[in-house]
This record gives sequence, structure tokens and C-alpha cells, in this order.
Amino acid sequence: MRHIAPKKQSAPEIPTASTADIAFLLIIFFMVSTHFRAEQGLKIALPAAEMTERIVKKRNVAAVWVDRTGRTTVNDNWVSTPTVTALMAERVVENPDLVVILQADREVKYGFITDILEALKDARAYKVTFATGYRTGGK
Amino acid sequence: MALSFRERGQGRGEPKIPTASMGDIAFLIIIFFMTTSIFSRDKGLKIVLPEKGEITKVDPKNVLNIGVNEAGQVLVGDNLQPVSIAEVGDMVSDLLDQNKDLALALRVNRRAPYQVMIEVFDQLKKAKAERISLVPVQEDAGQ
Repeated sequence: MRHIAPKKQSAPEIPTASTADIAFLLIIFFMVSTHFRAEQGLKIALPAAEMTERIVKKRNVAAVWVDRTGRTTVNDNWVSTPTVTALMAERVVENPDLVVILQADREVKYGFITDILEALKDARAYKVTFATGYRTGGK
Repeated sequence: MALSFRERGQGRGEPKIPTASMGDIAFLIIIFFMTTSIFSRDKGLKIVLPEKGEITKVDPKNVLNIGVNEAGQVLVGDNLQPVSIAEVGDMVSDLLDQNKDLALALRVNRRAPYQVMIEVFDQLKKAKAERISLVPVQEDAGQ
């Protein structure tokens, strides 16, 4: 009987030199795609719409939150409608391309929304987006 | 005579910075970013508001009023019969085919739920309406 003599061979190795490179690449991806949420916002249930579009530029966005009872926050502070005008007017001066995203609960009365829209007009913030969730298929 | 580095270092092996743990460190950072990052969910329906006091003269013939009442019923044009939200898109789409210059005025009662307004607005967007205006409604202004 013949024994197969163990060959003089170095231990098999998986090359790990490049794992760090891969990992750092992923880190860079996450760093670029992440933006830390600046505000807590309110607990709301967004309305759904089929024509929902994404807002691409994050830097140009300011949010106004409205909960189901019509209370409004900006940057996590409770505000009144005239304050919305003041705050947004300031932001618009800094950035004329500002898009105001109106995060409102689906059950809020429309009166609160129209008041805020008027306030935004006063603030010269004309680009507004109603935050909505996606809805697929017709209903 | 000083020995060259090579001669001195003979038998010691080449100096190395251990890089085996680099991957571990990097993955740790990845995990941190993954857990802390929230993919932005900013999405919605866009509208450009008119400037205050800006009056665009539109021929009344080219204006279609769409009303939403307190109960969330939708009225299109002069019809007194409420229509279902799903029909609004098709109706508006047909009317737009007939009249390209049609401007839509969306008049929503202050006590109507926001969801209904969004659904109607969504229908108008689906009908590819370009000229949509949200009529501001004051308290006590009636319908």
C-alpha cells in the first residue's frame, strides 16, 4: 500500500488584505448616503398618493410638521402660523431654492393646511411638497 | 563602518504593520453607520404656490372648480352630485383633452380631512393637470 506523502505545502490562506478596502468602500457609501435626521418630528400617519415623487436634494428641504390635532412644529419647536412665516422667510433668504415639505397627518382638518400654505406664501416659500406615502395600484 | 539596514536586520524578518484587524475595524464602522442611518423618506406631491397678490387672469370659461365639502365629498364643476374620488382623474383628464387651457381650482372646506384633499390632488396630478390652484378658504367663508 502506498501512502500519499503529505506534500510540503504552506497552509492554505484566504487573502484578506483587501477586506479592509471593501469595508472602507462600504463605509464611504454609507457616509455619503446618510444624512442624520436633524429633527424628531411628530408622530403622524401620512396620507397616501399614487403620484408620489422623491425629493432628491436634501439640503434644500425644510419640514413643517402638523399632527392630527393641527399642532405645528418646525425644528421640534411648537410654533404658531405667524412663526412659521418668520422661520421660513429666514430660510428662504438663505436658500432661495428651498423646498418646504409639509408633513401632515392624514386626519388633520384641511383648514390648518390652508393656513400654513398661506403662511408659506407670506414667507415667499413657494415650493411646497405635501409629504405622502406611496400607494400602489388603483383604488 | 556602520552596517547597512539590510545587514543589521538579517534574520529578523521584514518589519510589518499588522493589517489583519483593519477589516474588523472597518466593518465595525460600517455597522455603526448602518444602524444610525435612516434612508431619507422625503417624498410627496409637489406644488408651486402662486405669489401672494399675484393675479393671473384666467377666462372663467377655462376654470374648472373642484370642491371638497366637509364630509369629504367631491364635487366637480357645476354638478351637484358628488363623485367618487377615483372618478375625478378620468373626468378631469377628459375635460383637459377638450380644453388644453383648463385651469383647475381646488376648493376644500376647512373641516374636510386632509387625506381627501391629497387624494383629489393626486387624481389631478394623475390626469396630468399642470395648472392647479389651491384656493385659500377663510373661516366663515361658507363653502
